[in-house]
Formats: sequence, structure tokens, C-alpha cells
Amino acid sequence: MDLLLQILINGVLLGGLYAVMALGLALVWGVLNIVNLAHGAFIMLGAYVSWHLYTYLGIDPFLGLPITAAVMFVVGYATQRGLLNLIVRAPMFNTLLITFGLEVVLTYLAQIAFSADFRTINPSYAGNSIQIGAVVLPLARLMAFGIAVVLTFAMWMFLLHTRLGRAIRATAQNLVAARLYGVEPRHLYAMTFGIGIGLAGAAGGLYGTVSQINPYIGAALTAKSFAIAIIGGLDNPLGVLVGGLFLGIIESLAVLYIGATFADVASFGVLVLVLIVRPSGLLGKTA
Amino acid sequence: MAMSNRLISKKTLIAAASAAALAFVANPAAAQDIVLGASVQLTGPVANTGRYYRDAYELAIEKINAAGGVKVGNEKRKLVLKIYDNQSDVNLSVRQYTQLVSQDKVDFLLGPFASNFALADSAVSEKYKIPMVQGGGASDQIFARKFKYIFGTLAPASNYFGSTIDMMKTLKPEPKSVALLYADDSFDVSVADGTRPKLKAAGLNVVMDERYSTNATDFNSLLSQIRSKNVDAVLVAGHETEILNFIRQAKSLAVAPKMYSFTVGVPSEDFRRALGTDANYAFGMTAWLPSADLKDRWFGDATKFEAEYRTKFNYEPDYHAASGAADVEAIVQAIEDAGSTDPAKVRDALAKVNFDSLYGVIKFAENGQIDLPQTVIQVQGDKLVAIQGTKGPIHPAKYPMPAWNAR
Repeated sequence: MDLLLQILINGVLLGGLYAVMALGLALVWGVLNIVNLAHGAFIMLGAYVSWHLYTYLGIDPFLGLPITAAVMFVVGYATQRGLLNLIVRAPMFNTLLITFGLEVVLTYLAQIAFSADFRTINPSYAGNSIQIGAVVLPLARLMAFGIAVVLTFAMWMFLLHTRLGRAIRATAQNLVAARLYGVEPRHLYAMTFGIGIGLAGAAGGLYGTVSQINPYIGAALTAKSFAIAIIGGLDNPLGVLVGGLFLGIIESLAVLYIGATFADVASFGVLVLVLIVRPSGLLGKTA
Repeated sequence: MAMSNRLISKKTLIAAASAAALAFVANPAAAQDIVLGASVQLTGPVANTGRYYRDAYELAIEKINAAGGVKVGNEKRKLVLKIYDNQSDVNLSVRQYTQLVSQDKVDFLLGPFASNFALADSAVSEKYKIPMVQGGGASDQIFARKFKYIFGTLAPASNYFGSTIDMMKTLKPEPKSVALLYADDSFDVSVADGTRPKLKAAGLNVVMDERYSTNATDFNSLLSQIRSKNVDAVLVAGHETEILNFIRQAKSLAVAPKMYSFTVGVPSEDFRRALGTDANYAFGMTAWLPSADLKDRWFGDATKFEAEYRTKFNYEPDYHAASGAADVEAIVQAIEDAGSTDPAKVRDALAKVNFDSLYGVIKFAENGQIDLPQTVIQVQGDKLVAIQGTKGPIHPAKYPMPAWNAR
């Protein structure tokens, strides 16, 4: 019983981390209709930004998250403005190709710049834990989970209640009408992509604190984020949080009951099931 | 305009032709070179280990050439390395080896890193009957197919934990329950298959025997089970990234068995640096430690190799690098023994080599694999300490591992 409870908690905490990773991907996908295959590579870059801040400037990885997010926002804004805006109205296939290319380029640039060495962001408290009865709560994951929840609600409120958020939603719903109301799409797209990449950067900082960083972590993270966005649905950030938690719990239980080698089978099996049963995600509106 | 273009192109043609002629004249000397071909992971997820092979091949070839080269019959010939980056992609590596033998016409092959690569690539050397000496694949599967052109200088995967289990019997209090975790690839499955009967023979109780998917990043569920079952000793056969995650997550879940040991990572400087003090107490194994007792014809001995390698590449070599350098030396030795660069003759000479090297005695069993004992090592403080070798204990182990909050 204790074991099951511990496994469930592990799953929830893992799910929180998953949710932060997928938030940016879901936003960009929902609004710009770009499935950003380079999303994981941006998470990787964010992790390196956090690592440099921590290693060379001594900035705590959690306190440094806003800086990482801001740096990555600029990178994202520039990428959209300079590159992706050129193909934003092109068929989906073109955006897939260009973001895939971007992923390859970023990965290899990262190896040239940072080498293939492993890095970890390892502040003294990163391995600490809180013990409640027989259950152990890893501190770093708990903090990452808290940040995931805060970011999700902040995103939700931002989209609902701010002028920019409303403009983003309006553009996602109807571009022509949004333009008639004075939305400038090139800037707005770049803002949206920037926010998405800023979130990816924050996820990278958290990831480096609980796991390890090398230039090649991106592709697997993109796949995971993609699955979460589909499972949760693209309509609102809460869906992503639910999708992340759902996936985290399923994977943890799969390791316990089916075997560790099948964790990925379970998570992508769930993805297929969701696509069959609820094609617009668990929290998505059914057509 | 068109006229002058044609003139230029005529001039260019003449220039090109004379350059080709010059190259042709210069060629006979170059044709003497013995070309060694390899496809190695220079980029991609295992580039971190792949670099040991590129660097070791380069250093060994440079050293041998500086000493005059390889003696074939009455003439001395230089070695040349032709290396491709397989981007950590097995399929690409098979294509590159095919290209090396069929188009580049290299004389002999050096190996890639990792068992799954060597397993696939050795099919190429077998098909084209070009000997491959590889120091990157330890899986018993590679040598179980009665191939005649593959030779390996890593100790058999099935015996990686052998010396560790011997050591476990000397520890007080003796560990009783064991968890065996392994990744689902060729090397790690071979390790697990070889370890199971040894654990049984040692009278240890295997309470967990779990295969996990390669490149798994989350070990929290497995670690929670280790804690719940109160496992004494954890043996993990996996890759460096997984083992890094495993140790970090063990700390964050406060899971501290009496001991844990890992097939890879512990001997590598970069791995220990990434973990910092959290690497402490981790056991591992290596078939090679730089010792002045390991005499070498080209480098002098293993410590000199270690020093030269470190100066040239700015990082510490581990057994992967030593194994890679030994592969070059094995080919050279076999060419000299055969007195020829004929692939079949060199293959037969390789089967008979028996010489001292910086890596140990190079001698292949009938299946083509070397048999070297594994020395148990442990991270103690910021040092890597040899715990137990073939001749028994070397230094005392730090055991049992203290709880994470008691360090």
C-alpha cells in the first residue's frame, strides 16, 4: 500500500514536470498551428542557459528560471519573426520540415558549443527530500510541480484576462476577424512563439535540476510533449496539466505492474486510445 | 564572351589534367599506406563515449607512424585512418562500413563503440572478408555467430559483474538480497544473462530482475520498489545517461541500498564530474587501469599512454580508449606476423596474436573475443579506488553505503 501510494506520488510529480514541458508546445500548436518539432531542442537550450547561470554566475536554478525564460523568449520571438513567419501560412508539412530542420541545427550547434559532456544542475538541496510517514517527496520535483501548477494557472489567466491573451485566443479562433479588430499577426505570432519557447526554457531549467543535460535530450522530450498535448487537448492550459499528470501516473504504474521496459509502450498506447476515444483531448471540446 | 569562357575552361582542363598527373606520380608512395577504416559516434547521444575511440585510434596511429610505421616484409609502411561519423545511428554505421570496404577500399577495419553497433557492423566485415578489430562491443552475441573476421578487445559482457559478485561475498555484513536492473539492448541483456547464474551460485537472493527501456529517464518507480523491498545490493547494467539519472533520483528519493554497482560511467571522469559528490560510494568495474606494469612496444607502458593521451586531448582516457589503442596495435602486430596485408593472412595472424600491450595481454579466444578480468572500482571521495582484482583485494571497500542525509 505504501509502495502504491509512493508510486502514485512519483507519477503526479513526474506529471507536473511533463506538463511544464508541454505547455509551450500546446500553446504554439493551438494558436499558430505549428507542431514545433524543435520544442525539445529549445528545452535543451533552456537547460543549458540555466546551467550556465548556475555554474558561472551562481544563480540558483529556481530563482534563475525567469532569466532563463526571458532569454528563451527573445530567442523564440526572433525565431518566429525571422524564420517561421515566412512559412506560417504554408501547408502543415512545410512547418514540420522546417521545425525538424531547426531541431537538427540546434542540436548540433549545442554539441559544438557545449560538447557532448553530461551536465547536471546540482545545487546542494537538489537531492533533498521530505519524508511523511513512509512516503518520500523529492524536494526538487516538488518545487518543479509547484511551478508547473503556477505556470499553468498563470497561462490560463493570461489567456482569459489580458489584452494580449485575448488577442492570441482571437487569432487562434479567427485570424480574419482578429485582423479586422486591429491585431497585427506578425507581432502576435512572434509573441506567442516567444512565450511558448520561454515556457520551454523554464521547463529546461527544471529538467536540468532533476535529470541531466546533453545536446541530445531534445528529441525524446518533443515526443513526450507532443503526447501530452494530444492527451490533454489544445484548448486550454489546464488540459496540458491534466495530460501531463495522467501520463506521469500511467508511466509510473506501468513500471510497477507491467515492467519498466514497457513504460513508453504504455504512454504511447494511451495516446492512441485518447485519439480514438476523445480526438480533441481529455479536456478538449468534442465537436 | 562564349569564346573566352571556352578558353578558360580549356585552361582549367589542362590545369586539372596536370594536377591529376602530378597526383598520379605522387601516388605510388601513398599507395604504400595501410588504410584503417572506422565509423564512430562523433555526434549523437553516445558521442560522449565515441570520442574515446576516435582519439585512441588517432593517437596510436600517430605514435606508430612516428616510430617508422608497420614493417611488412622488408619495407616500412605508414598507417592512415579513414573515419566516418555515424551520428550514433546503427543503420548509418552499417552503410559507412560498407562504403569503407566497397568504395574506399580500406585495408582493415577498426570498430565502432557499443555492442549493438559492433553486432550489426561485424556482418559487413564478415561478408567482405576484411578483418575488424573492435574495442567497443562486449556483448557475447557478437561472438556467438561463428564469424571469422571479427575480433574484440572488450572483456565478455556476461562476466562484467563476476568480480563484483566475488567481492560481495567478502563484505561484512554480507549483502543478501540483490536487484538486477538492465537496459533492453544487446550489451546489457548479455550482462544480465551472465550475471543471473553467478548470483545464484553465490547464494544471493535476487528480489528484483527488471529490464527497462534504453534511454529511460525516470527511475522513481524502480527506486521506490528497491526501497520497499529493502534491497541490499543493486546491480545496474545500462548507459551513462540512465545511470546518472538513477543516482540523482536515488538521492532525491533517499534510497540508499548497502551498495550499488554500475557497468559503465564510474571509470569515466566526465561522469564523476557531472555527479560531483553524489558519485561517492558508487561501485563499477574496469578491465584497465593505467599501470606501469602494462608494458607496451609503442608507448612504453600504460602510464605513458595515459599521460600522452591526456596531454593531447585534455581529458582522462578510460578503458574504452585503451581498448581502442590496443585494436590498432593488434592489427599492426598481425600484419607484421603475417608479413603481408592480405586480409585472409592477417585474419589468421590475428587469431594467433599473443603480445603485451598498454591494455593487457592481447590474445583472442577461438570465438574472437579477448578474456580480461574486471577490476572492481569504487568512487571514494574524489578518487577512483581499485577494490578487487584477479589476485584478490587491493583496497578496502567503503561499505555499507551511508544514508544520503548522513554524508
